Amino acid sequence: MSAIIEIKNVTKEFKVLNRREGLKGSLMDLFSRDYKTVRAVDNISMNVEQGEIVGYLGPNGAGKSTTIKMMTGVLKPTSGEILVSGNVPYQNRTQNAQQIGVVFGQRTQLWWALPLIESFRILKDIYCISDADYDGMLELYQSLVDIEPLLHKPVRQMSLGQRTLSDILAAFLHNPKIVFLDEPTIGLDVSMKAKIRTLIHALNQQKKTTVILTTHDMGDVDALCRRIVIIDKGKMLYDNDTEHLKRFFGAYRTLKIRVGGNLKEQAAEIEKRLPDCAVSADDEWISVLVNEEKRKVMDVLTQLQKDFRIRDMQLEEIATEDVIKKIYEEGVE
Amino acid sequence: MTHNGLRFYLRIYRKILAQDLKSKMSYRADFIISTVGMICTNIAGFISFWILFRNFPSINGWNYYEILFLYGFSLISLTPVQCLFDNNWSLRMYVYSGDFIKYCFRPINLFFYYQSEVFDIKGLGQLAFGIGTLAYAWAKIGLAFTPLMLLKTVIFLITASLVMIALQNAAAASCFWIQNSFYILDLVTRFKDYAKYPITIFSPVFKFIFTFIMPIAFIAYYPSLVILRPDAVPLLSWLSPLVGCLFFWLSYKLWMFGALRYSGTGS
Repeated sequence: MSAIIEIKNVTKEFKVLNRREGLKGSLMDLFSRDYKTVRAVDNISMNVEQGEIVGYLGPNGAGKSTTIKMMTGVLKPTSGEILVSGNVPYQNRTQNAQQIGVVFGQRTQLWWALPLIESFRILKDIYCISDADYDGMLELYQSLVDIEPLLHKPVRQMSLGQRTLSDILAAFLHNPKIVFLDEPTIGLDVSMKAKIRTLIHALNQQKKTTVILTTHDMGDVDALCRRIVIIDKGKMLYDNDTEHLKRFFGAYRTLKIRVGGNLKEQAAEIEKRLPDCAVSADDEWISVLVNEEKRKVMDVLTQLQKDFRIRDMQLEEIATEDVIKKIYEEGVE
Repeated sequence: MTHNGLRFYLRIYRKILAQDLKSKMSYRADFIISTVGMICTNIAGFISFWILFRNFPSINGWNYYEILFLYGFSLISLTPVQCLFDNNWSLRMYVYSGDFIKYCFRPINLFFYYQSEVFDIKGLGQLAFGIGTLAYAWAKIGLAFTPLMLLKTVIFLITASLVMIALQNAAAASCFWIQNSFYILDLVTRFKDYAKYPITIFSPVFKFIFTFIMPIAFIAYYPSLVILRPDAVPLLSWLSPLVGCLFFWLSYKLWMFGALRYSGTGS
């Protein structure tokens, strides 16, 4: 299978004026030619296969939007190559636009005053969708979500959730090969988030649409993505499947126990006996971080049971969210 | 069906327009008030014009009805820019907030897609007012009404509209480079008021500016010379259709250049 998106050593630099402070500084800026170069995206390479859902993650300002803008043809990379479904996006922006769908968070692309169905009809003309394909898509939508109440409502009267749902439906309408979703569930309530995740998943399954999803919500990642790509400060930190990520950090598990007596003192006692585990205590629990490659949790538990009267225990896996947080903070070692 | 070609774009425009009108009609109060407002603006403009001419019977050899002709001519030629290109006024807001990026994802011409979004129906009232004024002046001056005259009038009206559209496009496009481009757009809009007067009343410096730099003399003066002074039409009048197309094309190029250079704010 060949890749639908190929990104090779792509770098994007922006020229930014060095701004000076104060009124005098801004007057001097008027005549200043003192630019500095900011590297928003730094030598990124990746391939995406048809039908994949890729979670594209990174803290704010990491370069996610810049990468997406380059893939959609809005920005031209400073160096490197991008091919989206065989097109160079910035050279054939309109041709590329026919192949992709884009949803940008809270910015609707629908006609503000028009009911959704009228927007759909205009999009049908803009993308030259055949009657059969159009009807088929609407039928599919009807089977996936309850769109009847949305169709005849002007977009400006919709709630944020309804609007996001409508935007996603509009982005898939012309059956694009790739859909870019930039924080699609931002600001939505739990049930709406679930609805939108189900919809994206179903459309990806039925139409084999490739989805590039940027989000800060780990719920989206856990529900949808098998592969994640993490970037920070323009550099790619991680590109692999989510399972691998969990296994990578999953060697660590946290054993939490409750014992009688002063927890702080007991914790110090435990630490003496378990030199290769990190032990900490809060008001309720003593946490023992176990590296399972060195020592099994059951082992640790058996040893502790000999010397302490354990009243209660919990075992915690590291959640994706914690792993990502760890990568943001420390990088992949 | 192909993605380019006039028919494709006309079809889309017709569809957007029909829907837009339908939704605007649903705000009846808003529609009526803005139409009344437009009529009042035009009446007020007309009254000040009338008062002026109570005091001066003629300006530089142009009599009351001839100036009235110019007035009507400029009103009609301002209609297309008012109706079809009104979204130019919002451009700087879209660019400033970063929302402009949403226009970049469709497989159709960016300029067309952006402008098609808004149709300002108020302009139609202005059109009716302009046609009335022009017809009245036409009759009072005693111009002949032949198919050739009508054809000339229509051609030169289109010419004049193109110049006005070009000015506004260029002014609006300045927001791709300048943060506060409202003043430029406002300035151009104010200057277009001078289009209602024969350019001969201005000093040579302004005559030059209004002809070559901010070509508002092409909005009414040069084109109407063809109708009003058929014996002494200067070369610039005959050239005005060309000038109109050229300015429009240049402004379109400038607008697109700015739009493609634009990268949007981060999100």
